[in-house]
Amino acid sequence: MVRGMTTNGGSQPVFCTIVPPHVLDRLARAEDPALSGPARRSLEHDAYQRTKRRLTTVIGAAAVAPPAGAAADQPHRTVYDAEHTQDLPGTKVREEGDDAGQDASVNRAYAGLGATFELYLKAYGRHSIDDNGLPLDATVHFGEGYDNAFWNGEQMVFGDGDDEIFLDFTIPVDVIGHELTHGVTQHTANLAYFGQSGALNESVSDVFGSLIKQYTLGQTAAEADWLIGAGLLAPRVTGTALRSMKAPGTAYDDDVLGKDPQPAKMEDYVRTGRDNGGVHINSGIPNHAFYLAATALGGYAWEKAGQIWYDVLTGGGLTEDALFTDFATLTVKAARERYGAGDELQAVKKAWEQVGVRTL
Amino acid sequence: MRIRVRRTGGFAGIERRAEVDTAGRPDADELRCLAERVLASGRATPAAGVPDGFQYEITVDGSTVHTADPRLTEEQRELISRVLKEGA
Repeated sequence: MVRGMTTNGGSQPVFCTIVPPHVLDRLARAEDPALSGPARRSLEHDAYQRTKRRLTTVIGAAAVAPPAGAAADQPHRTVYDAEHTQDLPGTKVREEGDDAGQDASVNRAYAGLGATFELYLKAYGRHSIDDNGLPLDATVHFGEGYDNAFWNGEQMVFGDGDDEIFLDFTIPVDVIGHELTHGVTQHTANLAYFGQSGALNESVSDVFGSLIKQYTLGQTAAEADWLIGAGLLAPRVTGTALRSMKAPGTAYDDDVLGKDPQPAKMEDYVRTGRDNGGVHINSGIPNHAFYLAATALGGYAWEKAGQIWYDVLTGGGLTEDALFTDFATLTVKAARERYGAGDELQAVKKAWEQVGVRTL
Repeated sequence: MRIRVRRTGGFAGIERRAEVDTAGRPDADELRCLAERVLASGRATPAAGVPDGFQYEITVDGSTVHTADPRLTEEQRELISRVLKEGA
């Protein structure tokens, strides 16, 4: 069968009407700019994306140097607007030091990048995502009604949500912190995004995402809501957030969304091939262990429990394919190394015991 | 032609699926062409995406291809968005 042609119920051939590349080539050379302009842009865009993809595959993510003279203890933020396309990064709309504008998504993204930078620097002495002053870039208004936010290896991407289930993904600061923490993990333990190591990768993002929210609000472990994505669900959805570290499995229960599937204990670990082996499901178990350790210790969760988790993430002992028990064992070791044989060690040990994860 | 899209992953980790039957649709030819191009350009095994990125499984009359954000082709993006929007 000729490519670009299909059969209609096995009889009449139908010619595809989508403009194939060779036609774009011809149009791009047309003298009428109304014809050549859009065609050229499409070709350039495709070629650019393909080349960039190939380069990223071959050389890995680019190490972007901070601009000369940038203060090491200050973030270097740039927010772009995709204007509802999926072209990255989009139009630059706010740079470091610019005043807030009219667009709430831009302002929230800018503030969230700052809050994340701030927690990592003030609490752990980390200079940005790579600990080397990586500029923080974010694109808002990605796609149309796009129900997601992600770190693409180089920058943040935020959708507006469809307003039916999700609102704007820049609303919860913990979502911004969660995504940027995927960048931190990428530059440190690089936990493989599948199965238990993938659930640990997700959990680490929830832990520091929540800590960024708590730090921003000045909340103690007892005061925090321990929710991920509070304020993200549209009013018609029956639920308070997407995940609860305090009570995994209780964040939502809705006709359309279904029920929050997160387990809190190892005995309820969900074996599935979906969602990279349930990375967003089984993260409930290490999430709850962190919550238990942090609330047992009291005070600000980023100070002790957060420090122990950070030590494990960045200490070099965590392998890419780590299991829950490996991670748990390392937190016990980190607690002992940093705080000796005291309350911290006991709180961490007990937390893992309560969720049914063995520490060695 | 039946075109089915299953979207998994994403920040929420909530699965979405939808199916369109092109029979009787005014845009049947267009959808068929789009689906055929997507099948020809897709990969047979799940694509490595990014953390929290959506992953997609597109099944056209029993043949399945995989793709993932943020590396969709224009055709994949168009087909996915139409099926998820208009499919049942």
